[in-house]
Amino acid sequence: MATADVAVVGAGLAGLTAAIRLAEAGARVHVLAAGHATTHWAPGGIDLGALPDSRTSQEAIDRLAMVPGHPYGVLAAELPAALAWLRAVLAREGFELEGAPGDPLRAIPTAIGATRLAALLPAGMAGALPAWAPDETLVVCGPAGFRDFWPEAIAGALRRPSSWRGQTPPGRIEAVSVELPGLAGRRNLSSLDLARLFDDPAWRRAALEGIARAVAARSRAPGRVALPAILGLNDHPAALAAAREILPLLPFEVALAPPSVPGLRLYAVLRGALRRHGGRLQVGEAVHGTIDAAGRVAELRAPAAAREFVLSAGAVVLATGGIAGGGIVADGPATLREEVLGLPVDGPPAGNWLSDDALSPAGHPLETAGIRTDRHLRPVAPAGSTADGRPIAENVRVAGSLLAGQRYLRERCGDGVALASGVLAARKLAGVAR
Amino acid sequence: MARMTGPTRLPRIVDVLIVGGGATGAGLLRDLARRGLRCLLVEKGDLASGTSGRYHGLLHSGARYIARDPQAARECIAENAILRRIAPATIEETGGLYVATPDDPDDYVDAFADRCDAVNVPCDDEPLAALFRREPALNRQIRRAYRVPDASLEPWQLVEANLRDAADRGSQALPYHQVVGMERNGGFVSSVSIADLRSGTIERVVPRIIVSAAGAWAGRVAALAGIELRMSPGKGTMLVYNQRMTDTVIARCKPPGDGDIMVPVHTVAILGTTDIPVEDPDHYEVTPAEIEDLIYEGEKLFPDLRRMRILRAYAGVRPLYAAAEFARSGELAGGDRAISRAHAVIDHESRDGVANFVSIVGGKLTTYRLMAEQTADVVCAKLGVDQPCTTADEVLPGQGSGRGYYWLGDRLAAHEATGGGDAALICECELVTRPMLEAFLDERMPCSLDDVRRGTRLGMGPCQGAFCTFRAAGVMAARTGGTVAAQAEPVEDELVAFLRERYRGTRPIAWGRQLQELWLSTGIYWGALGLDAFVSPGSEAGDGHG
Amino acid sequence: MTIADIVAQASAPGQPRSVGLSADECLKCNVCTTACPVARVTDLFPGPKYSGPQAQRFRLGSELAPGSGRLSVVPSPDRSVDYCSGCGFCTTACPADVKIAEMNNRARGALRSGRRPRLRDWLLGQTDLTGRLGGLTEPLANWGLHNRLVRVLIDRILRIDRRAPLPRFARRSFRSRLGRHWRGRWSANAPAPATSVVYFHGCAANYYEPEVGQAAIDVLERNGFTVIVPPQVCCGLPLISNGLYAPARGRARSNIAVLAGYARAGYRIVGTSTSCTHTLKAEYREMLDIDDADARMVAEATWDICELLVDLHAQGRLDTRFGALDRTLPYHAPCQLRSHGIGLPALDLFELVPGLRAIDLDHDCCGIAGTYGLKSEKYEIAMAVGKPLFERIRAGGAEQVACDSETCRWQIAAATGARLRHPVELLAEAYDAYLAAEP
Repeated sequence: MATADVAVVGAGLAGLTAAIRLAEAGARVHVLAAGHATTHWAPGGIDLGALPDSRTSQEAIDRLAMVPGHPYGVLAAELPAALAWLRAVLAREGFELEGAPGDPLRAIPTAIGATRLAALLPAGMAGALPAWAPDETLVVCGPAGFRDFWPEAIAGALRRPSSWRGQTPPGRIEAVSVELPGLAGRRNLSSLDLARLFDDPAWRRAALEGIARAVAARSRAPGRVALPAILGLNDHPAALAAAREILPLLPFEVALAPPSVPGLRLYAVLRGALRRHGGRLQVGEAVHGTIDAAGRVAELRAPAAAREFVLSAGAVVLATGGIAGGGIVADGPATLREEVLGLPVDGPPAGNWLSDDALSPAGHPLETAGIRTDRHLRPVAPAGSTADGRPIAENVRVAGSLLAGQRYLRERCGDGVALASGVLAARKLAGVAR
Repeated sequence: MARMTGPTRLPRIVDVLIVGGGATGAGLLRDLARRGLRCLLVEKGDLASGTSGRYHGLLHSGARYIARDPQAARECIAENAILRRIAPATIEETGGLYVATPDDPDDYVDAFADRCDAVNVPCDDEPLAALFRREPALNRQIRRAYRVPDASLEPWQLVEANLRDAADRGSQALPYHQVVGMERNGGFVSSVSIADLRSGTIERVVPRIIVSAAGAWAGRVAALAGIELRMSPGKGTMLVYNQRMTDTVIARCKPPGDGDIMVPVHTVAILGTTDIPVEDPDHYEVTPAEIEDLIYEGEKLFPDLRRMRILRAYAGVRPLYAAAEFARSGELAGGDRAISRAHAVIDHESRDGVANFVSIVGGKLTTYRLMAEQTADVVCAKLGVDQPCTTADEVLPGQGSGRGYYWLGDRLAAHEATGGGDAALICECELVTRPMLEAFLDERMPCSLDDVRRGTRLGMGPCQGAFCTFRAAGVMAARTGGTVAAQAEPVEDELVAFLRERYRGTRPIAWGRQLQELWLSTGIYWGALGLDAFVSPGSEAGDGHG
Repeated sequence: MTIADIVAQASAPGQPRSVGLSADECLKCNVCTTACPVARVTDLFPGPKYSGPQAQRFRLGSELAPGSGRLSVVPSPDRSVDYCSGCGFCTTACPADVKIAEMNNRARGALRSGRRPRLRDWLLGQTDLTGRLGGLTEPLANWGLHNRLVRVLIDRILRIDRRAPLPRFARRSFRSRLGRHWRGRWSANAPAPATSVVYFHGCAANYYEPEVGQAAIDVLERNGFTVIVPPQVCCGLPLISNGLYAPARGRARSNIAVLAGYARAGYRIVGTSTSCTHTLKAEYREMLDIDDADARMVAEATWDICELLVDLHAQGRLDTRFGALDRTLPYHAPCQLRSHGIGLPALDLFELVPGLRAIDLDHDCCGIAGTYGLKSEKYEIAMAVGKPLFERIRAGGAEQVACDSETCRWQIAAATGARLRHPVELLAEAYDAYLAAEP
């Protein structure tokens, strides 16, 4: 049996934030996670909030905070401090977050030639944030033979003004594929493989020089060049600096389908911070626990080889994610289950989970499903029960997209909720440190 | 096969115009072409996109019909043997097992072997020990099993091979071409108006004979010639399981019913089927009750079925010939299932006084060739052609020379033989490589991603397009500079349409991992890729296909 | 090939399994590919997603039914799966609980079933046999295995890389040094279970590193246990990872036959090799389909030694009177330990030793993965996998590095020149230091 002051279940942004904050405060923290998910999937920006008609993230946050049951009702106030903290953690490893919640939301080109709204991006992507001038050229440039980034398709779609969500597009959009050195005949060529190549100073110089020639043949300044998010995995700051130095136009990275290189970079920074403060991280654990008669979770269990692994802890942060992350599971067409503690799931009635249209802008009703909590992030008894609204697990805090009431994909608030709830959960549990 | 790109110029005069690009139409096109006739086939959607492409993948041995319809059983086993000879590359030799669960009637079980004998369906007792060793997922309560020569049959490749053979003999098949009008001249259809659905142009063709092989849509085609033909389409819903829990076709030893047959098809297994009459073959839905019914019945074969992952639910409409029509022709009467497998060639000269119009209705994929042969015989008699049918003897094109039947590992083995790796994989679930995709596009552009799917299996695996849709769209765009050339359809619209099509199959069974997969896919397209920028509210094309 | 042909080739039907069914859980999300140390360095291995749940869809006879599975009965059509090292990081990283590494292992087994094994793979699988032979012919064997010319010959003939780290045979095996210890099968006369443990030393401690076995005995005895060392053979893991399931089953049966007697009587079985203990705990069931009551008893009674000591500590039963070891100690957690799912117990124990500053090297795999890195065609891959680890160790300049698994120790020692030690050796040393410091 292992022991910890606080057990954190889930190694996404919310769980790691809570764990690092607790470890910083001196608690013995043990993170258990079933595996990696959203950190390795997410596109890499920090989405605090964006509604189709909101001008800034802050405006979206303020509006969402007014929506009954939305996590921002409690968490919006935590955001500024949480964001400042994250910037500091990233800065220590040479990573910068550009933009601010009060900046205008910008239409950022994506890897299918659409755009998404963003205001806060890591430095590698931030080149897409400034408004486009009519005399600017956007060159979409990708490695030949790379299956996750198709410059012609992207440029073709971006040339449709409707792709830009009412914002001014660049004056001209070009596409170019570049043969990068030594890739001919490669049988495996994922974004990770490419990013690792960009970690190598000699290779990346040769590659960037090739890209520079191809871009220069297409366009002169003013303009910017969109590259897939592959500029280094373990040494991204250096790769980005080299790209800025060598390319004739300002480069910016475009997020790809999973695995997400920017996501992995962020994860590596957070993981390093946790380790530096003595936190433990154990992945591959399908964790379960029970709430005892005193309304507490005293230990967590996970099947291990032959026996269960048991972690005894004074408190638990539950940050297992929602349906995407596997924190909430639908056992059939009508039953939702919270995976770790079996907490009551707040969600739409069966039969009304999904919208008729796959791409309905309103999303699916089921997206709001999650765990309802009190202001202290403790899970509460379901509406309609006699104990409605009262906490049902004293030493448990819920964080991240497991929280009910948000539609993080439509509201683009997932990272903000994760950060703020991670910070708040850690503060609420600060007392359990030894 | 050379297909034209851009708006098609149709031939002005043809011997035979075939309406409907399913297996029957394709088989008829081949049959008539081999008898020296110049024919044109038009299909309003993609080839084999109707009932032929929406069936459960079973090459019948006939065992399913031994009790209710011995004639159909005889036809099935005869055609089964023929297809194994002429189209082995479209067949996986799975074999079939009819098993007696505790829910199946003793008298049916006991009479099974004799009934098979009576209609020449080979049938061997399968020792239970061998049964459970081969198929360990089966219900251990099964008390008896018979082995019959069922197999798994790939419809798209079969249709493609028939069309290729016809094309080699100068007969053409055009997808996305719909008959929109027929000009009657007394007891004769003098010309047919055909719309190119992609360019919007309409041209007139003068055929000597018109054959409607439109399946469930045959009533509508007949109506264009002023003929009343009542079809009663029957919806059959099927569930696609993510993995093969069996490598053999498994069916229950009982009169055919819902959810009583599991067919391994390529990488998946398909549980079929329901049978519910529908009004309109274009608009039907898969209902939760049907799904529950299928799983409930399927669990009698595979007790762990509820724990296994379903990728999608879909339905096809059986081209059932209305019971009243059969009664009129004095052939058969009874409930839907009792009559459903019979087919009939209707010569509208004797029935309705239209001399050059023939309908082929009813039937099933296994007997498509026989239906084509019988229809071709009628057509040839009308035209005074006395060439014999050769479709039962001549091997279809593209059947290879080596192994004959395909087997599950073919694609992986072939990919590994060329070096393997994931760089060239566009669809990872089904191992569709960029060269495979480009070869298909060479032949078929302009086409939709859904056409690509039928031709290559792209997007048919667990992620249901999450990782391959944008890649395939990228390959298309790389060839055309961002649009699907002929109709200047932006590739991104294709992307939206394909994801919507995949969703329709996922939605009825969205729970467990498949719900999580849908969330992941939504996260990719909505969250990371901003797909919503391509979608204007209310722009969904609501065609209702399951 | 028809199903009938395939079935005719099939080996004996297996026991309940769920590895194949777990492919059903795959989200295709690519997280496993981010975790794979092999795909990271070579183009020859297409990665865990490709070889695991993806290729699984194209394999006939996949063992799908929980509680009624079977072995793969056709050779897997993909040969690239042979380049999977079996480290298991894909399985732990997977958010959907797909048993990816296990699937690959089975595919390798199927690939080789019905085919005569390569002499090299057969030899590498027989660690107990080679250990016994080497012990008998030591020092000649040691001279041979570390002579350049001989190694070139071995490389040419057997395809065992001439640069690969092979251990030195001990002059006398661990077992032959044992004195007073109970060494028989369980009987009523055996020492009482409450105060005894059964030690599974495995091949490494027996033939190559008897000092590890001695340290285990010292530490266990220091905590009041009587140590029983029953008859045992190789756990079978080298055979399993070389796809030789049939002889592996023989080893498994033989061990279970002895150990089950103790397990039933309530003894705990403790091992110093994380590979052996994981094999006893999980691989007999997951890989070899041995899932009877005896095998389950053995699995549940088996403990990694550090896991056992941490458990004792949690119960307040560990003697924590350690003397000071004033040093910085880089620690590498082996892949097999992570598959135990028990965290990193050695680090918990090191925290109890005054002066000892353990540093988790935090690198996934040293590359060796049992016998993988010994093979000529894989040696370079293995070295590339471990390269960042070796660099970190060299840069840190520590003389000693701790690691729970023998093959990793040999690999890291060969690559860095550091002295590699089992955690239990350090604990034994710390106990000694306490005694030495006592007035």
